[in-house]
Amino acid sequence: MLSRSLKIGIVCPYSWDTPGGVQNHIRDLAEFLIASGHQVSVLAPAISDDNLPSYVVNAGKPISIPYNGAVARVLFGPVAFSRVRQWISAGEFDLLHLHEPAIPSISLLACWAADGPMVGTFHAAAKRQKIIFAIGPILEPAIEKLSARIAVSEAARLTLTDHLETDAVVIPNGIYASRYHNGMPQEKWQGNTIGFIGRFEEPRKGLSVLLEALPVIARFAPDVKVFVAGPGDPSEVQEHIDPQLRHRFTFLGKISEEEKANFMSSVSIYVAPNTGGESFGIILAEALAGGACVVASDIPAFDDLLGHGEFGALFKSEDPTDLAKVIIDLLRNDTKRADLALAGRARGQSFDWENVANQIYSVYEMSIVGSEKVKLVSDNRSWNRFLAKDDK
Amino acid sequence: MMTKILIIALLLLISLWYLSFLATRLDRLHHRVETSWANLDVLLQKRAAVALEIAHSDIADPASSLLLTGAAYQARDADIQNRSAAESGLSGALGLLLEDSQHLATAADNALLTELSALTDKIRVAIAIHTDAVTRTQMVRSKFVVKIFRLSGTAPLPVTYEFESDVL
Repeated sequence: MLSRSLKIGIVCPYSWDTPGGVQNHIRDLAEFLIASGHQVSVLAPAISDDNLPSYVVNAGKPISIPYNGAVARVLFGPVAFSRVRQWISAGEFDLLHLHEPAIPSISLLACWAADGPMVGTFHAAAKRQKIIFAIGPILEPAIEKLSARIAVSEAARLTLTDHLETDAVVIPNGIYASRYHNGMPQEKWQGNTIGFIGRFEEPRKGLSVLLEALPVIARFAPDVKVFVAGPGDPSEVQEHIDPQLRHRFTFLGKISEEEKANFMSSVSIYVAPNTGGESFGIILAEALAGGACVVASDIPAFDDLLGHGEFGALFKSEDPTDLAKVIIDLLRNDTKRADLALAGRARGQSFDWENVANQIYSVYEMSIVGSEKVKLVSDNRSWNRFLAKDDK
Repeated sequence: MMTKILIIALLLLISLWYLSFLATRLDRLHHRVETSWANLDVLLQKRAAVALEIAHSDIADPASSLLLTGAAYQARDADIQNRSAAESGLSGALGLLLEDSQHLATAADNALLTELSALTDKIRVAIAIHTDAVTRTQMVRSKFVVKIFRLSGTAPLPVTYEFESDVL
C-alpha cells in the first residue's frame, strides 16, 4: 500500500482523554499509518499532557458543550485557533485529515486556516437539525475546501447530503479483526446466553428493551442467561428487573479487549437493542468478526451494517415483543444461528484495518495528486505573497 | 454626514472583501475540478492498459479478446466528446468478460483481475470526488453575484460526463 512515506496531520475534534468512537478510530488509524511507514501527527484537545501517545499534540483544554443530545468536549476560540495555525505551519504536512469538520471544534478551525490537500471524515448521523440551517452558509465555503469527503456509514452520508448538500465516499470504521478471530470460547459464557456490551445506563443503548423482552424469552427458554458488560453502576438497573429474573443477569463491569474477543466467541447471541443516535455500530462489526450471532434493532446504521438482515437478525427498534420473537426463534434453531454467525464472520473481516486503511489511503493519494503541501491560507493571500516577494 | 460616509465606506469594503472571498472560493473549486479530473483520467488510462493486458492473457477467449482490445484502444484514444461512450463501452466489455471468467482463471491471471478490481474501486471513489467538485462549482457559479461580476473569469463551466454514472 505504500508508494511513498507521507507526512499526515490528523485533527481530532473531541477531547483525547474521554473515551469515544471518533477518538478510538483516530487512534487506530494513526497507529496503523505509523506502522506502515508514514509520519503522523494528531492534534487533539486534552485535559492533561500525561499519558498522551507520542504522536498526539495537545491543542488545549476542552470545553464541554451540549451537542446532538449529549455533552461534547470540544475546543475553539482565538487561542485554540492560533495553536491550530502553529501546528499546521510547523508540520509541513502533505495532507490534513480532519474528523468531523462540521462540528464547532478544532477540525473546523483547521479547515478554515489551511489550504492544500485536505480530507474530511464525517462520523455523525443525525436527523435534520435546525442549527445547521443557520450556520450552513458559513460552513459551506469551509467544507468545500476539502478535496475529498468520507462518511463512515450510509447513515452518515445521508446526514451530510441532507445538511450540506455535498456527497461523500463511504468508508466504514475499522477494527482489528484478527484479535476477534482468535477469541477463545469460555465455558462460563456458553449455553443459552445473550450478551450485551455498552454503557448500559444510557437510555439510547436500549438495555431496557432487552429487560422488557426477557420475561417472554425466559418462558420459552428457561435456562437463558444474560451477560452485560460495560462501565456503569448496575444497582439502579437491577432494581427495574423482575426479582424472579434477577439471577439470570450477570453484570461483568468493564472488560478488557481480550475478554471482549472471548466474550464475542462464547455467547450464543449478541444483542444490540440501541434505539438511535448510532452512526456506525463498531461493536457490531467486532461481534461479527468474533463469530457471534448478532441480533440488532433496525435503526439505519445497523440495518446497513448487517446487510438488511443477511449477516445478522434485525428486530423492530424499541419493540420488546419483536426482539423476544427473534431471539427465541434463534435460540431454538441451532443451524440458523450458526449460518448467520458464519455469514457475519466474513462480513466482520471486511472491516479489518488492513482493508479499511487501504481505502482511506487511496483517497489520500487522490487528494494529493497535483497539489502542494498544506499551507496556511494567510500565506497564500496575494498581498502576503506580494510582500514576501518584496522581501527578497 | 461623517457617519454616513463612514458607513458607506464600510459597506463598500465589506462587499469588496466578499467579492474577493467568492473569487478565491471559485478559484479553489476550479482547481479541485481540474485535479480530480486529472486523477480520474489517469485511473481510466490505467484501466485501459490493464484491459489490454487481460485481452492478451489467457483469461480472454479470442472473441472477447478482440472485443476488449477494440474497446480499450477506443477508450484510450477517444477525444473528450467521445470519451463518455468509449469508457462505457470498455466497462461493458470488461463486465461481460468478468462475469464468466471467475472460476477458470489461473494464479497469474488472478493477479491481473485483482489489479482490475482494485482499480475499479479507486475509479469509483475518483468519480465521486470529481462529481462532487463539479456540482459544487456549478452551484457557486449559478450565484447571481458571481454571474454579474464575472468572478469565474475565463474558466469553462465544468460538466459531468455521461459515463460517470454508469462507468462500472
